[in-house]
Amino acid sequence: MLNPLEQTIISLQLRVNGLPVQEDVPAQMTLLEFLRQRLRLTGAKEGCGSGECGACTVLLDGRPVNACLVLAAEANDAEIRTIEGEARDGRLTPLQQAFIEHGAIQCGFCTSGMVLSAQALLERNPHPGREEIVEAIAGHLCRCTGYVQIVEAIESVAGKGS
Amino acid sequence: MIAPLAYTKPRSLAEALELLQIAHSLPLAGGTDLLVELKKSNKRPALLVDLKGIPDLDELALTADRGLRIGANVTMNRLIESGELVSAFPALTDAAMTVGTDQIRNRATVGGNLCHASPSADLAPPLFVLDTQLVVASLQGERRIPISALWQGAKQNTLQPGELIVQIEVPWPGAAAKMAFLKKMRTAGHDLALVNMAGLLDPVQGRCRICIGGCACTPVLLPGTDTLYQESRDPDQLTARLLALAEATIVPIDDVRASARYRREIVAVFLQRLLKLLAVETKGWGRC
Repeated sequence: MLNPLEQTIISLQLRVNGLPVQEDVPAQMTLLEFLRQRLRLTGAKEGCGSGECGACTVLLDGRPVNACLVLAAEANDAEIRTIEGEARDGRLTPLQQAFIEHGAIQCGFCTSGMVLSAQALLERNPHPGREEIVEAIAGHLCRCTGYVQIVEAIESVAGKGS
Repeated sequence: MIAPLAYTKPRSLAEALELLQIAHSLPLAGGTDLLVELKKSNKRPALLVDLKGIPDLDELALTADRGLRIGANVTMNRLIESGELVSAFPALTDAAMTVGTDQIRNRATVGGNLCHASPSADLAPPLFVLDTQLVVASLQGERRIPISALWQGAKQNTLQPGELIVQIEVPWPGAAAKMAFLKKMRTAGHDLALVNMAGLLDPVQGRCRICIGGCACTPVLLPGTDTLYQESRDPDQLTARLLALAEATIVPIDDVRASARYRREIVAVFLQRLLKLLAVETKGWGRC
């Protein structure tokens, strides 16, 4: 067996937005650094770097996580979704469209994380109430619009469809 | 940026315990506290031993004979998402619900929350009042400790190097027992607790347990409360005696989140509120 102290470079295999990815990364690299620097997926942002602001949120096996508090090595074999994978063939998701229609975006810094947490909620529970919506996005700080339009955008999608 | 280190993910507990013998190795569970420390403090481990590949630590079982067994790796959200657990141990799931945000709760583990040994750890008050035992493993074997023996001081646990919490064992409270959890934060959103508190009242077995967090360097289980309860089932008298006991037992400090004086006031308000919640649920202290 390899000396554990020599395992400073990790051979990663994972899926990002449905596509297989293979990369060797330093063991201390965070998932956020990996996505932004190696894969150039810069939708997830580094706000606080300590799990307070939610700007780095991505979905790991369908669940929202702070990518700044996950090592890339911990995402080995995982399925990662970032905001770049949400729109397909140039078509926004109904949730993304609703953010635009409700004026739920201003500077956009929190938006990628907000959309992913809300999308994960809707996939788990297609008809969440306001309280569940508020709880689902409580780990995201928005300093522009306030939260009302964002909650309304999510509600408008939650009320529709099956 | 995190300083260079090595990482390994063992597939068994035995392998993990071997790896933790290596100097300057640290166990990695959910990482929600550890990664922040690696970025912001002088902690410089040579090796992180990721515990998430060990199936034994993932168990979450509720059985008639053994009560609740929580593997150390079970996340806060797994606790909350178990409907069975929400009805059987509401104070525990209420507490888990207040730990961080959804993103944090998807990663943060029960074992990690306890090992971090924060005086305001939200899972501590409910687990203290439920007489929880911890199963601690090392290469020498397993030992069981009461949860109160885990705290040495603020953010200092009593585990020896190379020891891991592997399971959290929560016995069934009596069938008539009621429990509740309260938490005071600076904001209505997500924050660490200024004060948290859990209570358990069992009118049939005559048990009364109150645990207060954030008001000393460890969570504080009020002493002698079973006797107080058995002596004074009159709600007003019991409340007054518990208030005096809490006031004399806690040693809160001034810090960035609140003053000691404010914490004392919150403890008094919470204790009365908690006793009312437990009383309502037991229909007036359950005189039976």
